[in-house]
Amino acid sequence: MNRVLTMFQRWPFAFAFLLALMLLVLNLIVSPSFLSPARLPGTLATLAPFVLVGFASTPSILAGGIDISVGPLATFINCLFVAILIPAGLGDWHLAAPIILAVAAGIGALNGILVAVVRLHPVVATTGMLFLLVGLSLTIAQNPVAAPDNWTEVFAGGIGIVPGALITIGVAGLTWFALRRTAFVSNLLATGESDVSAYGSGVNIKAIRILAYTLGGLFAGIAGIALTALVQSSQSSLASTYALLGLAAAVLGGTSLAGGRGGLLGALFGAVSIYLLQQLLTASGVAPSLIQFAYGAVLVVGVVLGATLLAPRLKRNPS
Amino acid sequence: MTSDTLSPAEASHAPTARQEAWTRFRAWVFEVPALQVLVVLALAAWLVVTIPAIANPRSVTSILVITSLLALAAMGQTLVVILGGLDLAAPGYILFGAFMAANVAGKLAVPAVVAALITVLVCGGIGALIGWICHRFAVQPLVVTLGTGAALTGATLFLADGDYSSAPPQALRSLASLRGTTFGMPFPPIILIVLLCGVGMWIFLNRTAAGRRFHATGVNFRAARLTRIRTSAVWTLVFAASGALAGIAGIFIASYGSGWSQTIGEPYLFSGLAAVLVGGTIFGSIRGSYTRTLLGALTLTLLSTIIVSNGLSEAQSRIIFGIIILAVVSLYGRERHVRDRF
Repeated sequence: MNRVLTMFQRWPFAFAFLLALMLLVLNLIVSPSFLSPARLPGTLATLAPFVLVGFASTPSILAGGIDISVGPLATFINCLFVAILIPAGLGDWHLAAPIILAVAAGIGALNGILVAVVRLHPVVATTGMLFLLVGLSLTIAQNPVAAPDNWTEVFAGGIGIVPGALITIGVAGLTWFALRRTAFVSNLLATGESDVSAYGSGVNIKAIRILAYTLGGLFAGIAGIALTALVQSSQSSLASTYALLGLAAAVLGGTSLAGGRGGLLGALFGAVSIYLLQQLLTASGVAPSLIQFAYGAVLVVGVVLGATLLAPRLKRNPS
Repeated sequence: MTSDTLSPAEASHAPTARQEAWTRFRAWVFEVPALQVLVVLALAAWLVVTIPAIANPRSVTSILVITSLLALAAMGQTLVVILGGLDLAAPGYILFGAFMAANVAGKLAVPAVVAALITVLVCGGIGALIGWICHRFAVQPLVVTLGTGAALTGATLFLADGDYSSAPPQALRSLASLRGTTFGMPFPPIILIVLLCGVGMWIFLNRTAAGRRFHATGVNFRAARLTRIRTSAVWTLVFAASGALAGIAGIFIASYGSGWSQTIGEPYLFSGLAAVLVGGTIFGSIRGSYTRTLLGALTLTLLSTIIVSNGLSEAQSRIIFGIIILAVVSLYGRERHVRDRF
């Protein structure tokens, strides 16, 4: 028993991984065709925005802050692409993709500057940004605008036998994997664990924080592309749903809101768990309102478990 | 104000009388919500100048009623923010309150007082549980309230079973309707209720030992515990109060709109938070108070009235809200540099 607990404590994502595995088995029992090759690309495409918004929430949380605005940023990118870039003739992938990613990373960097340089509380800074982004998305496209045929459809279907969603998730994952080889991620975790100690050890915490929010913005941009691929229209109304889902995915995946513990793998399993839970309950014919209830309950139980049984007992005071 | 700022050469001298006065003035501006009062007056003046037709009792009442609803919904959030947390469960509480007002008090004809009592008990109980869990297990209220809010919303919608057509009973509607009267005076009782709440909250926060303990817990949790304040009780009670107040706000919001929908609570989550922040209450700040939230709510309502009456859309008012939040908090709520926290 102790060894199991030690394992959980060593790998923060283990709890979400087991939860996802269990839900996957239950899903397969309820609908055996769940993982059939024909359904897989569609399933993964529905999953991709969840996972990517979860990814986008993670770097800022690891840096000891929080970014509420990544979900609205993803929907803003979705509206920007469908309602502005395509009508303006910038819809080709070699034009649109760099613009989208630059805008998303730029907004992320702006968040980072507000938090690290202007020194606003992260919740306040990103709430302000949330209002801005929701307002902008509504201004661009109040009602859903249908998108013409465009390059994002690839990410909802597949390229050959590779499901397209694996590409969007994979690009974000590989970026993180590459960054892990650099000093950035260790410095990020050090800053999140204790910014005072990191500053004292010569880490440039201002730059690290700005980069963390920029990275979150970049992932949110990719999430916007995955969302566009899925819905093929502008959906400004999804903003607040994704704002909260991203946080939930990251936290369920064992990323500590106090900062310094966790990673993208946790957000992946967290998002997969939430998605599988919804699928399972939908497939068993449970009312949508009860699905929301179950999702809330799992989140609370997951967080409390994560904070008690599964956390190393380093500090016991919330402050 | 810029003429008062001293050049570096002058600043190197010993503090002059003028400099001292400036320091005192600055402290005073931070201590009382003078800036917010100024902003409210400026906005009101602007509104009257640009649209003279607005200065009639009916329009003023309507602005005040909308302000009251927002302020009521933000009341619990103010307390939680002073404590250093964030209550994302507010839409759930408001939805439950609206459900009790419309479906239980309205359709099932349960007396309004009983419905209100059930709302307070349920929302307060859930809030108390959240506060206790957050304190006991040292988890961030952000996630716990997010989860509980989702669960409460789901449970309420399940109970409502697709019936969103009921309206609250007449007794409740007259409390918040624009044509209501208070003791013969031509404004609905909700304005008076919120004003009384404001006065009561001021007395509680500034003139009672419990209020001081609560502030102490918000400013420095560990220091408060070392002075033998029962922080567990403070957390439990504050989150319970936040739940109960948001539930009551839900009853009034449904009464004002004469009905409810699945998403009735959602606008009040971020707008309520915006009212708290624009008022100048920052996480765990000693200067936080409900008076500031009232001013913040008034600012936001006046602002959106101006925006909408100038032909701009609701969406553009969101953008301006965002800029206002960032601007106000950069003036008030900047955190200390890390080198000052060793």
